Formats: sequence, C-alpha cells, structure tokens
Amino acid sequence: MTKAFEEIPPNDPLLSIDKLNLGYQGQPPLATISWMIQRGQKVVLLGKSGSGKSTLLDTIIRGSSAIQCRTLRVAYLSQQPALLPWLSILDNVLLGFKLRGEKILTQHRERARQLLIDVELPYFKSQKAHQLSGGERSRVAIARALIEDADLVLLDEPFAALDRSTKIQMAKLCKQLLANKTVILVTHDPRDAEDWFNEAMVLTPGGLKGPFDIDHFKNDHALIQTLDGDL
Amino acid sequence: MSRTLAILAPVTLLIAIWWSVVTFFDIPHFILPAPDRVAGVLFNRLGLISIHATTTALEIICGLLLGSLLGFTVACLIGDSKRLQLITMPALIISQALPVFAIAPILMLWLGYGFASKLAMTTLIVFFPVTASTLSGFRALPSSWETTFRTLRPRRAKLFFLVRLPLAVPYSLAGVRVAASVAPIGAIVGEWVGSSGGLGYLMLHANARGQTDLMFAALVVLCAEALLIWSMTNWLSRRFDQKYADTV
Repeated sequence: MTKAFEEIPPNDPLLSIDKLNLGYQGQPPLATISWMIQRGQKVVLLGKSGSGKSTLLDTIIRGSSAIQCRTLRVAYLSQQPALLPWLSILDNVLLGFKLRGEKILTQHRERARQLLIDVELPYFKSQKAHQLSGGERSRVAIARALIEDADLVLLDEPFAALDRSTKIQMAKLCKQLLANKTVILVTHDPRDAEDWFNEAMVLTPGGLKGPFDIDHFKNDHALIQTLDGDL
Repeated sequence: MSRTLAILAPVTLLIAIWWSVVTFFDIPHFILPAPDRVAGVLFNRLGLISIHATTTALEIICGLLLGSLLGFTVACLIGDSKRLQLITMPALIISQALPVFAIAPILMLWLGYGFASKLAMTTLIVFFPVTASTLSGFRALPSSWETTFRTLRPRRAKLFFLVRLPLAVPYSLAGVRVAASVAPIGAIVGEWVGSSGGLGYLMLHANARGQTDLMFAALVVLCAEALLIWSMTNWLSRRFDQKYADTV
C-alpha cells in the first residue's frame, strides 16, 4: 500500500523519498515530495503535463540526497524505446552487457532469445530495430529491461505513441512479465493502468496526493479537476 | 530522365542568357567571351587546363580528407567533456572567423608556395564545419535515451564508443557535405596568393595576359570539379548515413 511518507512507518521500502524538491536547478521547485514504495508494489503516478512526473522518474534514476533507493537494478521505459538502429534486435536486448563491458555468455544469449519469445518476437532476433513497428520496438525495450533483472521498473508513458489496441496488448504483456517487480507507471491517462494497477498517486503543485483506488479515481470528478481537466 | 533534365535545364538556360547578352550587347571577347569561344579554348588547351585542374583537385580532395579527419578527431576528443568544449570553442571559432585571405600570406611564409600551404588552407576551411556538426551529433542524444542508458549502468568509454559516437556519424557526415562545398575556396585562395600551379594560378596568369576566354574556361572546369567532388562526397556519405540514421 503506497502512502505519503509521513503517514506510514518505514517497513523496508525499496524506495524512500523524503522532502524532495522536484524541479530543475535554479528554478522554483515544481513540488516537494515525500513517498515510499514497498517491494512488489505497483502504482500509477498521475498528474497533468508539466507537473513533474517524468522529472521525478529522472531524479530517481540520477539519484538525490533526498532519495534512498535500495537497489541498483532499475529499469526505465519511455515512449522512445532507445534501440540502436545498427544493432540487431538480439544485440539491442544484450546492450546492457556490452555497455558495462561484461562478457556475453551463451546463457545470456539463451536468456535473451527466451525473452524475445516471451515478448512474442521470436522470429525477429536478427532484424534491425528500424524494421519493427512501434509496438514491436516497445516489446524489445521490455525484453532489454527484463534481461537486466531490475527490481524497480519505471515506466514513463511507454505506450503513449501506440494505438489503443496495441496499448491494451502491451499492458497485458507487462502485467504478465512484470508480475513480481516493483513498478511505477507515469501517465496522464488512467486507462493505461486498467486491469493492471489498483492504486494511483497524483502529483500536484501541492505535493503528492494519494493513494487512491484507480477505479474510484476514474469516477471522482474532484480528482479529475485536480488535474485541471487534463484527462 | 527528369533528374538529368533538372540538372541540364538551368545550365542550358544560363548558357542561353550568357550567349544572348554577348550577342545582343556586342560585348568584346576580352570583357565577356561568348560560350562557343570558351568551349573552343577548353578544347584547344585541354592539356594545359587539365594539368592545373589536377593540381587543384588534389588540393581540394586532400584538404577535405585531412580537414574532415582532424575535425572529427577534435570533436571526439572534446565531445564528451563540456569543460573541454568551453575551453577550446573560442579557438575553434577564431579558426573559422579569420578570413582565409588574412592568414594566407602567413601560411605561405611558413609552408612555402607549394602544395603544403594550399592543403593547410583547405584543411582550415573544412575543419570547422565538420567539428561543429560532430559536436552537435554528440549533443543530439535524446534525454530519454540518456536516462534509459543510465539505468544500464554503462562504462563511460563504452557509452561513448558504442552509442554516442555512432549516433554522431550522420551529423558528422552532414558537416563533411557542407565542407565539400566550401573546400575549393581554400585551394583557390591559396593559389591566388602564391603558387606555380592550379586553376587559381592559371586564372591569375590568364587575367594578367588579357586571356579572358582562358579565365572563363578555367572557371568552368573549377565549377565542374567542385560539383563532382561534392557529388562524390554526398554519395559516399549517404551510404554510411543510412546505417546510423533513423534513431528509434
């Protein structure tokens, strides 16, 4: 259960944020945030455009004295899958090993192939990224995140550029593959979290509000007003 | 067919206007020779013109290669450090802001009247566009990509060579294409200031002897040479471009 930092006592949270001034250097903060995320928790972070949702994820990854993240294994998926066009799909999945200068073993290749099967792209391993559709590229990015065996998965509107039916497919796939991970999904559309997340936090200039039940949220006009009708 | 027409049509139109002006205003040939006279000189003195054209072409091509290589190397050395960019940028900008005419005499003094001074001038002109474009390429990594790669806990050198450098290649090649169009300036200015060969030298001599038709013939060859070098650069760079473009 996610609650604002002051409201619940810490109980081995994976991520603790304590009075983080969210924003850019030299500019007034967008909001001051305190938050705790427990292991295995899945939460949607809602807020209007420019409220600082993506900045919060970026700050979690970059690190800050106000943030305690008890894992180094963090995965990040955004609208842009960040696939290198000159590499094959398989090599894109194994990119983390290459970037860390680690030797890619047969077992890593086998795992990558298995993950491509899991994301329903078994026949695409030797193709280049630009030959794939938007949905397929997102699947490759998911496979790359999974091979890193991340504890904390940060999703920054990863399917926003996809059509509705592909979005639903991707949400189903994520729900299945990220079942035992801690996940934060940033979006301004609660429908992205349908059947997958059951609680939501709302980022406002006044700070982080919540947790809210995602179903309750969809019917609560006062909360929608909080987002300045951005939905 | 339409591509050939698109190239030939403006050239034909230009020659037609040129010919009409000479004929209509009865301009003396030592002021503006008619196209047929220039073509005659081009044909009759092809041996002489081609010797000088080869010299200029070598200066342009070697300067383009050396300048591109230097520009790319300097950009790679400073591309990963904002501090180094801040320190070196004034010197880089000055290298471009100083007119090549102003430093040509100094380069002549240092490097002599031969090939080296022309190579240096062409290299100097080519260097900056390639450096600036490559640096833009290093800065073009989308922030969401940076965030994604940060989570992969990369080594700095690996990130540079495996991601940032290949992503900068299309930008670098765009710089080479721009440089290829200005490279002849360095070679010709060098030949004007002091040389014993090249199309610039030939034009200068022809001018001193009142051989305007030879001047025009040299100019036509220079235009053809510049276009050919630019087209070859364009064709070669696009072959590499396709591999690294289309970031997804």
